[in-house]
Amino acid sequence: MLARYVARRLLLLVPVVFGVTLLLFFSIHLVPGDPARSFLGDRATPSAVAALNKAWGLDHPIPVQYWLFLDRLVHGNLGQSLFYQSSTAGLLVGRLPVTLLLLVYGAVGSVIISVPLATLAALHPGGAADHSVRVVGTVGIGMPSFWVGTCLIILFGLVVPVFPVGGYGETWPSHLWSLVLPGLTIAISVSPMLVRSLRTSLIEALGSDYVAFARAKGASPSVVLTRYGLRNAAVAAVSVLGVNIGFLVGSTVVIENVFALPGLGSLMVQSILDRDFPVVQGITLVFAVLVVLVYLLTDLAYAVLDPRVRLT
Amino acid sequence: MRRSTALTAIAGSALLMLPLTAAVAEASPRAHEVRPDAIQRGGTLTFARSTDILTLDPTNMTDNESIWAAENIYETLYVSAPNGHSLEPWLATSYTLSPNHLTWTFNLRHGVRFQNGKPMTSADVKFSIDRVSAKATNPFAFIDTAIANIATPNPYTVVITTKYPWAPLLSDMALFANGIIPDNFGGETQAQFFAHPIGTGPFMVKQWVKGSVLELVKNPYYWQPGKPYLDAVNFTAVPDDNTRQLQVESGQAQIDEFPPFSSISQLQHTAGVTATLFPASWTEFLQFNEDQKPFADLNVRRAISYAVDREAMVQAVLFGHGTVANSILSPALWAHDPSAPGIQYNFKAAKEAMAKSSVPHGFSTTLIVGSGDSTENSLGQIVQAELKPLGIKVTLKEVDPNSEYTDIQNGQYQMAFNYDTTDIIDPDEMISFSAMGGNTGQKTHALFTNWDSPQVDSWAEQAERIFSQAQRQQLYDKIQVQVAEDAPMAFLYYEPFAYAYSTKVHGFDVYPTGNYHLENVWLSH
Repeated sequence: MLARYVARRLLLLVPVVFGVTLLLFFSIHLVPGDPARSFLGDRATPSAVAALNKAWGLDHPIPVQYWLFLDRLVHGNLGQSLFYQSSTAGLLVGRLPVTLLLLVYGAVGSVIISVPLATLAALHPGGAADHSVRVVGTVGIGMPSFWVGTCLIILFGLVVPVFPVGGYGETWPSHLWSLVLPGLTIAISVSPMLVRSLRTSLIEALGSDYVAFARAKGASPSVVLTRYGLRNAAVAAVSVLGVNIGFLVGSTVVIENVFALPGLGSLMVQSILDRDFPVVQGITLVFAVLVVLVYLLTDLAYAVLDPRVRLT
Repeated sequence: MRRSTALTAIAGSALLMLPLTAAVAEASPRAHEVRPDAIQRGGTLTFARSTDILTLDPTNMTDNESIWAAENIYETLYVSAPNGHSLEPWLATSYTLSPNHLTWTFNLRHGVRFQNGKPMTSADVKFSIDRVSAKATNPFAFIDTAIANIATPNPYTVVITTKYPWAPLLSDMALFANGIIPDNFGGETQAQFFAHPIGTGPFMVKQWVKGSVLELVKNPYYWQPGKPYLDAVNFTAVPDDNTRQLQVESGQAQIDEFPPFSSISQLQHTAGVTATLFPASWTEFLQFNEDQKPFADLNVRRAISYAVDREAMVQAVLFGHGTVANSILSPALWAHDPSAPGIQYNFKAAKEAMAKSSVPHGFSTTLIVGSGDSTENSLGQIVQAELKPLGIKVTLKEVDPNSEYTDIQNGQYQMAFNYDTTDIIDPDEMISFSAMGGNTGQKTHALFTNWDSPQVDSWAEQAERIFSQAQRQQLYDKIQVQVAEDAPMAFLYYEPFAYAYSTKVHGFDVYPTGNYHLENVWLSH
């Protein structure tokens, strides 16, 4: 049952990916500019531009180029990066873990921040704690993440030098350590929305008949809160988190920039500016798959939290 | 070299910028002589730059980060002197030029070894230089077009014969693209070789983590006794301006490439940090497309040129850290003419020129600026405001940097900001690109202004073929006067290379072409 559901959702990836690449392939070629000029710079002569475009196979009509791209894709080949002159897949494999880990840190961090704050606020709606949490949340939404990131670097990299001032480190322990501040930056931007959603549904859950019933049966306040309150409230919050993380996949570039992380976001922006088409295509593909997977995971979490949800 | 499309423009943070007042005097950047016993050896230099390198293949590089890193891995027969005014022997110890000025015989330095310990010989030199122009798509193929053939009569002699007398040859030999690698890639394929390339330079590649860091370590076989002083150099990619600066302040990095001009004064007052402006070949200008009306009219070009307040621009975008331009060639180049009559701000003269023009009551035009390029946007607004009193209505059109290249190169523009720099210290490269008409060889219709002066072309061609620097200077002076008076571009300012670095860094120097010799750098512990 579950396996079939997952398999069907994964199969859905094919049309999604196809649609995304089609849209992107034609839209990126609508934008003026070409990679040869970016490569050769401001003094490119027409003959040099033409020679390079020919060498890169960019002299074919766009539908032909798209066909060649699809043909390579079904053979598992993402093509050669024009600027790095090396395989696109190789470039992506090196950078994917950074972006993935960053998202995991962001998701876990958001939960760690949001659950206590939302609980605090929901236990006494309208109380001092509730108002404080709301104010902090509003400020959190208002702060741009590049600014939050830089502030965190100054605080925890310079004033209290616990974490590195950006960079990804050399070894796995240092990779994991260096992602703490970037992950926190993501968490700070996602948490306010999560807190609000969790708070509202928690208040609703705590005021429901089944909670009153549990209390009447003599369940302890902590059991009421965790097993009846949070579990039910989490259903809505999980989808908020899922949507936000899905959205973040495309916007990691700012955070990767501030923290000098060699992830996919920064490569994406540079490749668009340079018109490095194969890399842009490859990253879009990865992002599309990631977003679909995050939504799938969200739905699965939904089902685990709420047995009434049927995965069909 | 091309302007890097910096990601920082997108992050666009202004957190650490302090409001600035008057210009700070430019520090004298030339490295001081240090007593040899004062030098400390060892340590790793972390050099935080705005982007990663793109390639390790010297014949295929166009981005500055690759070029400036490669110059510490591969070396050339000659190199530029630190002030960029002359050339010094490097992998060659001397040369002789035949009386007909066609045959250059280079004597190679003995005892130079590649990073695998094998000696460098003339076969390696021939192979490396032949590669540069072997394919039409090689970006610097133009630089070696004068070369007819290269002969290697013995392992320590290289004879380069040119098709015609070619004065810039020695400067060309100092170009990174003519850097020396082993003959026939040391028996490997090109791809295998550049996965772990070797040269004769002070540092060799340990590993390149694409997008993140290029790690170099000391070459144990380096030919300069006692050098390099450092054990290792890491070129890290740190796109955010603030983060680079904070890395130097925290000690995580020692050198910050291109701190924003707005932060220079603040950095000069930060403990443990030095900020230096190194004179560069960079000339920034406003260019006109003469194929579009009314820019073929000399009076229109001169009127606009007169109306632009260059001092205000230096203050607005360089925060005072640059100088107003009077010529296409910057003072960092030997051929710069300090008395070139580049048009300066004079509103009265602007009005007079407009009155004499074909459009005395003004016209409407478009100025393209790079989107996210805060410099061009600020300059654009200044130009827009200053041309208004002349009756010239300027619309700013924002396009992304790549489209900007395309528009300019296809002649689909009226006015645009542009700049020129040189990769060699000879003025020939800049003059060919920016002042000569036509589009053969290294000519680009005077950088796509479509300005065409047969007189300037002729002087430039003469200057390429005579060998007395004094005579060449006279010709370049004439060219600079002519270009200034004809105003195919309004020269705005000369921009220096800004670097911030830890006070523990010694011997760091940036040459007018932007390169640095890290074998001279040492760290105090």
